[in-house]
Amino acid sequence: MTSVDAETELLGHVLLPVANEEDALATAHALEPYGPDHVTALHVVEKGEGSPDKTPVEQSEDIAEETYAAVRTVFPDADDHTAYARDVVEAIFDAAEEVDATAVAYRSRGGNRLVQFLSGDYSLKLATEADRPVIALPRQDTADG
Amino acid sequence: MGDEELAKDLGLVSAMTIGIGTMIGAGIFVLPGVAANEAGPIVVVSFVVGGIIAMVNAFSVSELGTAMPKAGGGYYYINKSLGPMFGSIAGMGDWMGLAFASAFYCIGFGQYLVSFVPLPEVAFLDPIQVGALFAGLAFVGVNYIGAKETGSVQTVIVTILLSILTVFAVAGFFSFDYGTLTGNGGLTPYGTGAILPATALVFVSFLGYAKIATVAEELKNPGRNLPIAIIGSVALVTVIYAVLVTTMLGVVPWPELSQDAPVAQAAEVAFPASLGPIGGVAAAAGAVMTAGALLATASSANASILASARINFAMGRDKIVTNWLNEIHPNYATPYRSILVTGALIVVFIAALGRDVETLAKAASVLHLIVYALLNVGLIVFREADVPEYDPDFTVPLYPITPILGAVLSLGLVAFMDSIEIALSGAFVVAAVVWYFLYAREKTDRKGVLSEYIQDREAELPDRVVDAADAVAPTGTEGPTIMVALANPRTEGALITLASALAKHEGGRVLATHIVTVPDQTALDTAAENRARIDDSSESLLEAAKEDATAFDVPVETKTILSHRGFEEVFDAARSNDADTVVMGYGGTKLAGGRAESTLDELTHDLPCDFLVLDGETVDISDVLVPTAGGRSSDLSAEVARALRDTADADISLLHAVDEGGEADGEAFLTEWAAERDLGDATIRVESGDIQSVLTRVGGEYSLVVLGATERGLLSRIVRGSPVFDTIESLETPVLLAERPSSRSLWERLVGRGEE
Repeated sequence: MTSVDAETELLGHVLLPVANEEDALATAHALEPYGPDHVTALHVVEKGEGSPDKTPVEQSEDIAEETYAAVRTVFPDADDHTAYARDVVEAIFDAAEEVDATAVAYRSRGGNRLVQFLSGDYSLKLATEADRPVIALPRQDTADG
Repeated sequence: MGDEELAKDLGLVSAMTIGIGTMIGAGIFVLPGVAANEAGPIVVVSFVVGGIIAMVNAFSVSELGTAMPKAGGGYYYINKSLGPMFGSIAGMGDWMGLAFASAFYCIGFGQYLVSFVPLPEVAFLDPIQVGALFAGLAFVGVNYIGAKETGSVQTVIVTILLSILTVFAVAGFFSFDYGTLTGNGGLTPYGTGAILPATALVFVSFLGYAKIATVAEELKNPGRNLPIAIIGSVALVTVIYAVLVTTMLGVVPWPELSQDAPVAQAAEVAFPASLGPIGGVAAAAGAVMTAGALLATASSANASILASARINFAMGRDKIVTNWLNEIHPNYATPYRSILVTGALIVVFIAALGRDVETLAKAASVLHLIVYALLNVGLIVFREADVPEYDPDFTVPLYPITPILGAVLSLGLVAFMDSIEIALSGAFVVAAVVWYFLYAREKTDRKGVLSEYIQDREAELPDRVVDAADAVAPTGTEGPTIMVALANPRTEGALITLASALAKHEGGRVLATHIVTVPDQTALDTAAENRARIDDSSESLLEAAKEDATAFDVPVETKTILSHRGFEEVFDAARSNDADTVVMGYGGTKLAGGRAESTLDELTHDLPCDFLVLDGETVDISDVLVPTAGGRSSDLSAEVARALRDTADADISLLHAVDEGGEADGEAFLTEWAAERDLGDATIRVESGDIQSVLTRVGGEYSLVVLGATERGLLSRIVRGSPVFDTIESLETPVLLAERPSSRSLWERLVGRGEE
């Protein structure tokens, strides 16, 4: 049953990039049915790298803590990891490398094309620049379709 | 720690760019025409005087910024030093000052825009206002979406601007004519008395350096880079202003200098019409200057809008304004509400006052000058109150002369403003004070160093000073929150009784929580569906808690928390509810069963607040024994003992275990310990033997033992089991274990909770 092995391998250690509390809860719930062995929640604080950030660092870190707490309501043993970077996708892959994740699972935040463009939807870059499996979680919720 | 370093990514150049980028837009591109028209060529001196005033304040901002590299800048320092009333004034002043300044920059943008593109009049708005509104909305939009590209563009813009202006200065040097400079009534056509009023007008050109301090937490090596960037950018722009304004006035006679687009006009004159075969050079230079002006005013406005969101955040953190304002946009991750509110203010200012660029400029200056004056006073308070943690890397030269001079010069310059701007700013100051008394005073719990200083010296200071300080002190300091983590109905009464006694004594409130542990397999929302069942048990438990607490006449709140985690959730709940003390049952700690030890160590190593853990199901607080060997946690047991004595008439006995023969020393120690902790009326008992055997021997004589942890990690040892606790468990008498986390200093309490 090699396929089973492959699956446990795939979900052995899932890196879960999450943006905010709501996103974290929805993403974690979307991953829950697949029963990952271990989860690390990742929050990337967007940095200007040469210019002031959009939000104060302290506020960003509060948000990071909230997202981890939200993920832990679903995966109580989840680890957390905070990255600071200008390039979010690169930071996700760097973090995956650092925590030695077997896969990255994310959930598109939706919205129309313009919103996706403006808020920097990372789906395409995540999918094309990956050096390890990337899992696109279904958006099964109805609230913000 | 390591993370914090990662968050710091602004180097010296970036920091200077923020300062220069904000300042240079207004000074060079907008004001020279208007200011020269009021003072004549001597206006160059007005710019230099403005630079000197800015420099004196820049020293103070640098000292405060290196002492507290926190988001918020001037507001933050003033709130910490002078307290929330002045904090409200400073926050309002900074915020409105930035909104006025942004409106002014937008008008400057509009002035140059109309020279490029003809704009229509719309309703009561002239074309410049239309252009300014368009610009203002665009800048707000960019910040709302939070395009991070704007940041890197800023560096490019500043580089381009400095290059353009250098070329202009060189060209201007060659067409400079001293006769043009002095040709209309000499250097001082309106007398030297015109210098300071013109300084009042152009001071808005220097309102950029303090913005560096608002992003201090993002600076690499702030101790070094912050002062260099702040002082350096002020020095640099002062020199640039002096050189360029002189150049302009030597190229175009001052009465003819354009009121709207002076740099473009001067450039067209300064550059030759053609260079050899290439024609249209002068016109092109004028166009480049116009483009530069648009970039410059845009970057000023942009930086100001961003800075105002920082100030809102800092005010929200201190509960001076509602945190609603600082909500982050789910998609764009920007503080969009704060940006929209500031944007609305900018639009109103442009529409209402946009025809009078001078009023906008001066209103921005007056509000900032008020903040600078307060900030200098705040610096003196920090120094004089001698707060040990106030440890700036950079200190102002010639203290106390520099801050005193800063305050005097700032307020002095306000005197040269017109009554309309002073009235307008005065209205905002009054509004801030009214806001403080109507709203913020009840919410905020941050006292300033000044009021701590006054209260500590109540006896030495005149009554009037103390009364005045009390009259404006925040009332949001509503006493501590005593959180009770309930799990078992049998211990509810005992835990609530202890918590209520503490709350009553300290003037605090009781927060009764019932943490319902949901098995990992059950999703929390599924659990929430089974609410009915949970609610029943939870409700009756919390109802009982409420009744018991009300009997003590203390305010009580209740909360049911669903969690996959039991014990750990207590820590989270304590943190998120800002609890000062957690009271829980010994059984509750058993909820931790099965957790990896490392997780536990981590948790119990870093207690969020005081912890009191009761071993026993009932509590009778008539005879209380407090064993002590000194230390932080026995300070906590002393506090508990005092609360029980004062609210429940408990008889307190203090116990100190000594080695054979150490009785006399022990008694001396214990008597002194008791007196220092206001427990002089307690019975003193010194027994020989180790604490375990002494406790076993005498514990039974009392109805409650309050035992402070002698070292860190008491909780983890309870949870994992330890010989000391076998003694406690075998004791018939209920034991209340007290553990206090490593001390939070006055400083940490002032500047908020320490880093996790």
